[in-house]
Amino acid sequence: MTDSALRTVGRIDDLTRALAALRRENETPLPVRIAEAARSLVGARRAAVFLRESEGWVTAFDTAGSEPGWELPARFPEAPEVEGGLLWVPLEAEGEVHGFLALEGGGFPELEEPTELAASLGLIFGAVLAASRLARLVKDAEFELKARLLELESLYDLGLSLSGQLDVSALADEVLYRSISLTDARKGTLVLFGERGAAPLSRSVGGDLLPPEAVRSWDLPEGDVEINNDAARVPTAGVRLADCQKCLAVSIAVPGRRLGVLAVADKESRDGRVLDFTPGDARLLSLFANQAAAAIETTRLHRAAIEKERIERELELAAAIQRQILPRELPQIPGLELAGATLPTRQVGGDYFDLFPLSRGRLGFVVADVSGKGIPAALLVSTVHAAIHLQIEASDTIVELVSRIDRHLQRFSAAHKFLTLFFGLVEPEASLLRYVSAGHNPGLLARRSGEIDRLGATGVPLGLVPNGSWHEETTRYDPGDLLCVYTDGFTEATNGDEEEFGLERLQSGLAARLRLPARVLSDELFREVALFAQGVPQYDDQTLLIVRREA
Amino acid sequence: MSETCKVSVERRGDVALFWTDGYINNQGGEEIAREAYSELDSGARALIMNLEKTRIVNSIGISILIEVLEKVMERKAVLAFCGLTPTIDKTFRIMGLAQYAAIYPTERDALRAVGASS
Repeated sequence: MTDSALRTVGRIDDLTRALAALRRENETPLPVRIAEAARSLVGARRAAVFLRESEGWVTAFDTAGSEPGWELPARFPEAPEVEGGLLWVPLEAEGEVHGFLALEGGGFPELEEPTELAASLGLIFGAVLAASRLARLVKDAEFELKARLLELESLYDLGLSLSGQLDVSALADEVLYRSISLTDARKGTLVLFGERGAAPLSRSVGGDLLPPEAVRSWDLPEGDVEINNDAARVPTAGVRLADCQKCLAVSIAVPGRRLGVLAVADKESRDGRVLDFTPGDARLLSLFANQAAAAIETTRLHRAAIEKERIERELELAAAIQRQILPRELPQIPGLELAGATLPTRQVGGDYFDLFPLSRGRLGFVVADVSGKGIPAALLVSTVHAAIHLQIEASDTIVELVSRIDRHLQRFSAAHKFLTLFFGLVEPEASLLRYVSAGHNPGLLARRSGEIDRLGATGVPLGLVPNGSWHEETTRYDPGDLLCVYTDGFTEATNGDEEEFGLERLQSGLAARLRLPARVLSDELFREVALFAQGVPQYDDQTLLIVRREA
Repeated sequence: MSETCKVSVERRGDVALFWTDGYINNQGGEEIAREAYSELDSGARALIMNLEKTRIVNSIGISILIEVLEKVMERKAVLAFCGLTPTIDKTFRIMGLAQYAAIYPTERDALRAVGASS
């Protein structure tokens, strides 16, 4: 074998070893390892690899000595050539130049006069670089593919998670965290508008992008998403977001109603730069916002259903209390004909009537109407009922009884609760009717002659003002006279035209039926109100008590 | 939640135990990587990362953790995670971190698995 052939075989052995070393992964970057291998192979003093990267040319030198500060020639060499004292070798694969190898000095003749061997080195190291880049591309593509899969899985998981989530605060966290994570944002804020004047719910990572006080200025129509890659200077949806360079924002909305705002800002890159948000990011954020909106609406409807159920239970309880208090049957009092009834509405009110047979054929009776509805009204009725039963025997006059009830209410009932009340005392022996009306609707006293007197208020409602005063009125109550006491649910019953039944209709209806038995008369008056209302639901109880002195 | 991820490390023999608190993004990932490489250079053979105070990891954070994992494998060491939220657990599995790094429910489980005393 000739010396030349021996040198060639030796170089091939060296090259084989160098390539094997390049294949072994270690912590030294591949371009540096290529520079090292090339320097060693050709016996150069220094070597460098210039690579074309996305951000421009990057230089990797061998590890011998300090960085010499070489620069690429202005004209890129298309084949190995000597320029500025360095041998420049294009690193080429598949017709594409991936970079350049630069070599300086040493005993290798190629450094003086490039030959095909230099070109071969360029092709070999070019192939190594290309393979490395391809591997990196595959790795990046695989990562990207997994990231897309993660997005899809996240959307699926978010849907599942939100469908069972009734805690709006936890729901907001979940949506915000996933939005920030999957858009690679550095920070984000989610604000949900408060319902019925409640304070907004705000969640942030990395600081509030959208201060709660600016939420109402937010001017992004439902369903819209805004990419603002100049957010440091330009407002987003009419609001200048705090401390961010680029942002992506979307309204959280259901048809016809905006529920809140979701904004993320400053999309990160691996090298620390802030990237533009893309239409793909916008699509993803919109999907999250839609899922959030659906979940929030579901939560709201669920809460409304629970609240409705609670009110239904409360109304049932209130109705039960009311039923317990109202007399199950009316007393039989010689010489008196009685009829009384309450027609409760769905929203149980606070109507109450009761009768108290007393000595010497006397009869006490009360019709009352408590302010408010539901459980509170039913409980106040219960209190009044107990107070009357406890105090009636201990009171010498109706005024004394009413005053005691008032003091009891002032002391024990909740603030802003009051009631109107008509308390009457029939004294057949004296043919008298004594009464106190605490702000109640006028009683109608129909004389046997057909004339009807209105018995007006003799004082203020009970429980309304401290130290209220009442006086007792007395009127003749002869055989054949009939007293009709009622609550405002009767006269304020409305029809479809929002017209009230009114006192005049009640008085006319009464006058027209005076000869009917009390029970029938009562039923007829209730029927007349029902006909007037034309099926329109009423929101106040209707109570009617008739006390007739038999002729 | 703070945008700054805090990383604290405690060495137990040749096991380095990491606790993260906050968002693992570029900054948080770099912080973890810096500490991890330092521990590997000083002879740690196992890194356990407790992420119970981390609620968010983005793709940059994951790519840095993958780089840490590659470095750990080059050094023939092991990497384990614990205290992951269900979301992060699933993220790590989908993104391939769980292929070469073990995931344990608790720190105690992780320490027991790598043979360190808790």
